[in-house]
Amino acid sequence: MKSLDPRVKRLPEIGTGKRPSAVDIHDQFETFEVFVQPKPGKPFQHEGAIHAPNLEMAYIFAKENFTRRFTCISLFVVETRNVHVSAMTEGNQNVYDVLTQKEFPKGEKIPHEIFHLIKRGKQHVQVGSVEAASPDEAMAAARKQFDTGAVVFNIWAIPKKDIRYTSSDEADLWLTLPEKKFRDATDYKGGQKLKEFLDRSK
Amino acid sequence: MNEVIKELLYKIADDQLILGHRNSEWTGFGPLLEEDIAFSSMAQDKVGQSLALYQILNELGEQPPDTVAFMRHAERFHNCILTELPNGEYDFSLVRHFLFDTAEFIRFDMLRDSSFQPLAELAHKIHGELRYHILHANTWIKQLGSATKESISRLQVSLDDALPYAMGIFEESPYEQELIAEGIFGGEQMLKERWMTTIEATIHHTNLHLPAWNSIVPVLGGRMGKHSVHLQPLLDEMSEVFRIDPTAEW
Repeated sequence: MKSLDPRVKRLPEIGTGKRPSAVDIHDQFETFEVFVQPKPGKPFQHEGAIHAPNLEMAYIFAKENFTRRFTCISLFVVETRNVHVSAMTEGNQNVYDVLTQKEFPKGEKIPHEIFHLIKRGKQHVQVGSVEAASPDEAMAAARKQFDTGAVVFNIWAIPKKDIRYTSSDEADLWLTLPEKKFRDATDYKGGQKLKEFLDRSK
Repeated sequence: MNEVIKELLYKIADDQLILGHRNSEWTGFGPLLEEDIAFSSMAQDKVGQSLALYQILNELGEQPPDTVAFMRHAERFHNCILTELPNGEYDFSLVRHFLFDTAEFIRFDMLRDSSFQPLAELAHKIHGELRYHILHANTWIKQLGSATKESISRLQVSLDDALPYAMGIFEESPYEQELIAEGIFGGEQMLKERWMTTIEATIHHTNLHLPAWNSIVPVLGGRMGKHSVHLQPLLDEMSEVFRIDPTAEW
């Protein structure tokens, strides 16, 4: 089928038995995860994903796509494949209780950011960082440091070296945001304007 | 001294308003959803910056912001011609964004030390906004300026087209000496020199090339109200509602 839509172009040809061709790397961007720090002293939390050709482009897109409305003080992005994910537990099972691995391959210990999911349907929230040679080891280390017995459904471990942080001299990027209330949808009183218009037209 | 300051404020404010409006024409048509949002958001920043400058002008005795923004004829606008040119394709809009916003960032960086306090305060306040704008511009130029044959050649053609107009950013004011002597603004010449060094540094990271600076013939006139045919239609469209009903709210 001839189409300009890449999703259609990738479809296998019907009746020929041919496999769909491999995705061209220029055809679709990769995804990056976006984390935002709402206030000083508050942890970063996961806000969503962005499509971009690389980490730096992901950062510039994330800045306006995720932090143009509500006040915040910092942002970081990481390629989705560099977010290492634990199992997701069922019911009230604490994920730390199902981490059974005790032995890890030796290697250079590097810092990892650790995130917890503590409410289903909510965002993953940063709890701190640990030093480990692998993401699995980072989760085991996180158990010692951050497992309080409260139920955690899912853990993310991200090597810090893979993260594009906001540098300290970029801290004023959001300085004027509190003045941009007009970007908040609730700032536009559509119903009130309609009512005034209808009253005037009576 | 008021006339000297007003002349400076008007040209900066008009640049921000006109380019803000032009860039906002991309809303809904950007090349990627993410970029559409980012570019629109920066266009909104520019219009907001023009409002802040028109408010300072209003305090110096000029008409209110909406009046100066919507009721002046093209000849009374002091924006450089670069800002009023039609958007063309995205390569041109990106190159203009890169060339203009680099100058804008350096101009406000210089103005942080201005002896005219309201301008110095504004320059401090919007530093972060402008910093994002140039981060955005530089990232795109580095990305597309070294990506594919098509992206490089498109940017190169737009760069060659835009440079003569970009030199018009630095068209001198009749009051250059007073502005410098009074410590209000360091002057267009100093701005231009810092701009050329900064542009060279970014272009150096790409496969693009800059022509010799002295081979570029600047397109001047905008600062004196001599505009291209493109400005008046922009103003007509931008002020259409205000001219029909100045009290309209939406």
